[in-house]
Amino acid sequence: MKVWNVLLGIALLVTVSACGREERPINPQPTAATGGAQAEPSRTTGSATEIEFWYPYSGVAGKTVEELVRRFNASQSEIVVKASYQGDYYENHAKVLAAIAAGRPPDVTIIEIASVGAFAHPGTLENLGPYVKRDGVDLNDFWPGLMLNSYWDGKLVALPFFRSTPIMYMNVSMLKEAGLDPAGPKTWEELRRYARALTIKDKRWGFTTPIDIWFYEALVFQSGGSILSEDGTKVAFNSPEGAAPIRFWKEMIEEGIMKFPPGEKYNAWTVADTDFFNQQVGMMFSSTGGLAGRLEQAKGKFELGTAFLPKNKEYAVPTGGANIVLLSKSTKKEAAWKFIRWVTSTEQAAFGSMSTGYLPTSRSAAETPEMQQRFKEIPQFQVALDQLAYARPRPMIPAYKEMQELIMTELQRAVIDKNISAEQAVAQAAAKAEKLLR
Amino acid sequence: MNRLNVRTGPVGLPASAPLSRSASHTVPVTTVSALRNAASKTFDVVLLSLVSLVFVFPFAWMATTALKSLQETLVFPPIWIPERLHWENFSEAWKSGPFPTYLRNSVMVAVSVLLLQLVTIIPAAYAFARFRFPGKRALFGLVLASLMMPPQITFVPVYVLMSRLGLMDTFVPLVVPFAASAFGIFLMRQAFMQVPDETAEAARLDNAGEWTTMWRIFVPMAKPMLATFALFSLIAHWNDYFWPLIMTDSDRLRTLAVGIARLKDIEGGNAWQVIMAGNVMLVLPILAAFFAARRHIVRAFTYTGLK
Amino acid sequence: MVRARLAPYVMIAPAVTMLGVFTVYPAVDLIRLSLTSWNMIDPVKTFVGFEHYLSLAADPDFRRVLVNTFLYTGLCVTAGLTVGLALALWLNRGGALRGFAQAAVFSPHIVSLVSVSLLWLWMMDPQFGLLNALLVSLGLGRFPWLTHPDTALASLALVQVWKNAGYNALVLIAGLQNIPKELHEAAELDRASPWHKFVGVTLPLLSPTAFFLLVVNSIDSFKVFDTIAVMTQGGPVNATNMLVYYVYENAFEYFKIGYASAAGVVLLVLVFVMTFLYFGFISKKIHYR
Repeated sequence: MKVWNVLLGIALLVTVSACGREERPINPQPTAATGGAQAEPSRTTGSATEIEFWYPYSGVAGKTVEELVRRFNASQSEIVVKASYQGDYYENHAKVLAAIAAGRPPDVTIIEIASVGAFAHPGTLENLGPYVKRDGVDLNDFWPGLMLNSYWDGKLVALPFFRSTPIMYMNVSMLKEAGLDPAGPKTWEELRRYARALTIKDKRWGFTTPIDIWFYEALVFQSGGSILSEDGTKVAFNSPEGAAPIRFWKEMIEEGIMKFPPGEKYNAWTVADTDFFNQQVGMMFSSTGGLAGRLEQAKGKFELGTAFLPKNKEYAVPTGGANIVLLSKSTKKEAAWKFIRWVTSTEQAAFGSMSTGYLPTSRSAAETPEMQQRFKEIPQFQVALDQLAYARPRPMIPAYKEMQELIMTELQRAVIDKNISAEQAVAQAAAKAEKLLR
Repeated sequence: MNRLNVRTGPVGLPASAPLSRSASHTVPVTTVSALRNAASKTFDVVLLSLVSLVFVFPFAWMATTALKSLQETLVFPPIWIPERLHWENFSEAWKSGPFPTYLRNSVMVAVSVLLLQLVTIIPAAYAFARFRFPGKRALFGLVLASLMMPPQITFVPVYVLMSRLGLMDTFVPLVVPFAASAFGIFLMRQAFMQVPDETAEAARLDNAGEWTTMWRIFVPMAKPMLATFALFSLIAHWNDYFWPLIMTDSDRLRTLAVGIARLKDIEGGNAWQVIMAGNVMLVLPILAAFFAARRHIVRAFTYTGLK
Repeated sequence: MVRARLAPYVMIAPAVTMLGVFTVYPAVDLIRLSLTSWNMIDPVKTFVGFEHYLSLAADPDFRRVLVNTFLYTGLCVTAGLTVGLALALWLNRGGALRGFAQAAVFSPHIVSLVSVSLLWLWMMDPQFGLLNALLVSLGLGRFPWLTHPDTALASLALVQVWKNAGYNALVLIAGLQNIPKELHEAAELDRASPWHKFVGVTLPLLSPTAFFLLVVNSIDSFKVFDTIAVMTQGGPVNATNMLVYYVYENAFEYFKIGYASAAGVVLLVLVFVMTFLYFGFISKKIHYR
């Protein structure tokens, strides 16, 4: 009896590993509906160069990426891109690192913009400058606001891929009902007034936002300050400008006109969404990525409007999203570059934006007839684009990922605890942040 | 086999004696006890329903959300019955990726892992339960130590090892690291240790070898535990997202759990109804496994040890 | 117990080899890395000796993480086992309704946490959540659940207990089924009260299973990652940040592999000590036949 089981087990193991090896790459019926999985290599792959592209997009964004890859592969026969999903931004980062450690990194991947510095610093990213120059790519076509997180140490290491900015979403029906200007508040003080007007005690809050580093950065910029010094070596938010956003939020929460969503990071965003769509809040900050989905959610319920984040001293927003990079350890850089160049060019950028709701990354992409049509039909999309004029880079130093967590922790502490003042929170955060800069 | 022919109540514990005794009393007392019986039965039913509700309602929410329209998903307080049953959510989830592949891979991984585990843990547990031998403590300590290693910590060295061995594009990294389940060895050791010494002695006196004793006596006696272990192993590996994601670089070998995770959108408005439809599909096979295993766990006969 | 020569070694060989490769090797690697400063990309790993351990000891955030982990483990294990035992005893009798209840109680364990995390976030919403609605209707006022550092940990533990109680119950039921009926019957023939039956027969014979659950639950709670990643990402204000999550963050989001490895080594040492204590002290009380 036992022999049987042992044999069965071994047989299975062998079959299983053999199965793993012999399989052809799986490709479901390439109907339009599925959007296709990774591209099927053409039968005569003898001469084609294969490159590996790892991406962190699921849902609609993921399908868009796969479609782009399919189009690239179909459009020419020298290069075949093998694209695969690797989890979210951070799971993908972890995998890329593990793959580098194992000596088999992908050729092309996507890096979240605040982490570009962390990858560029140890030389993981290829300098794209020479390729750009050689092939005459017009970098000025890309929105300057989006190029800010593409340089490290003076070198071009990334190109914009799926990018976003924070915007303010408003329940315009609710605003009109309260006799407020449907274009929304333009300044912090107006935001406060509007929130007050829309609040119905215990039933409705005028305003909500996830207490997230992204929005904090925006508000600090709007107050005339910044997170780090120009050269990235000193903390700069330990200042009245850095404290102002926290004080603003605290005051509104304490007054009962702003709801503080529970949960962290994207959970908080989802809760904010839920409250917004259930008309329990009138205005919220969120990302422009997902605008399409949000318009869909609001259909039949209320009129959805979008606007710039209100200014304090000035309008300002950080950008978000991720850039596409070429890994310096790649052995197929020419082919990889060709793909990167293609996927960031006008037509593809326009398609990406149309399909996902992320920003069109270049002027020419925004000026394509399809996009112009889209802006005419759905002016809400135009807002994020117009706001790009006020875009600032997110800090890029390698330690920023950790620093942003520290800052967030102190922000939350101040928002939750009445006894901690905004200045104290900022000072505590700065003390911790400074340790990281040493 | 219940050799003593004692009347047992519903499977498990014997029928409660007090009630049956009072049934033989005079009429008034019977009515009282009948009432008491009815009252406690109702109470029982109510309590059972409440408890079940507490545990199961998030599950029910997931199932009903799978049939809602996008607009209905974020409504709060939650809607329990959607206006229309949107069965298309399921097909949308199914079509979002190579689901037949994912399904096949999930089955292969879960089943292979389980079979491999049974082969390694039963003898190991038996050895730990039955024998004294030098180094036993240290080796059992090693077993426990592996329980303590979370996958988030072990994955990089294992990934590098598998890459260097050229095994990355196979099922090996998905299956072999779990072949020896410390959890299983521990669980079965406890179960085996409960077999009375006399039984094992009797077997030896019959000149049964260790392997025979193990398979013919100990394993059948520990069937409930084995069934329980099998169920847990299947569930754990069926639902595992992190390891299959990390240990595979492409869709070819990925499992259903990873496929379902892809339904979520970062930064964007999520289509919760499709995500939940995917999760329902993920859960159904496990439910089936659960009901199958329960039959083994609950109705398995326990040996009395008498020959 | 039998004293034997070769047989036991042969029997444990496959398991131990696997464990060696997939446990010992990563653990050794972990220790090695904890003595270096590395970001995973540089070919050069700078040796820094015990510097990371000193930093960990000096870091108040790490101390917080340790406290959280112990607290969480304590809560989950105590509540999880108590509820599990109560459920097991109650649901062990047969009948269709009990069968359904068993399945219901077990269902949280089968479902992936991601699919129900959103629901839990809603239920625990301080303003509109179901749980607070219940509390308010009972006149107990609103509870901050996941939004406040003082209550977030307990709220997470609640979700974890909900997820695990059925699992514990199932294992205990299997353990109860292993108890031969004659022993119960013998106790009854002796006119033993239900309480005496429980303490004299059930508990001792259930103790190996209960001990097993104690160890496994403790280790699992100590190692918690998914619940945190899905529900709170360590917040608010680090209130739910625990060891494995801390290690993962430091390694893969901050690229501080050496530092993270040191924290990982601390984790292993602590779990090891905890298990050693369990086996040293409690294991003596376990009744095996």
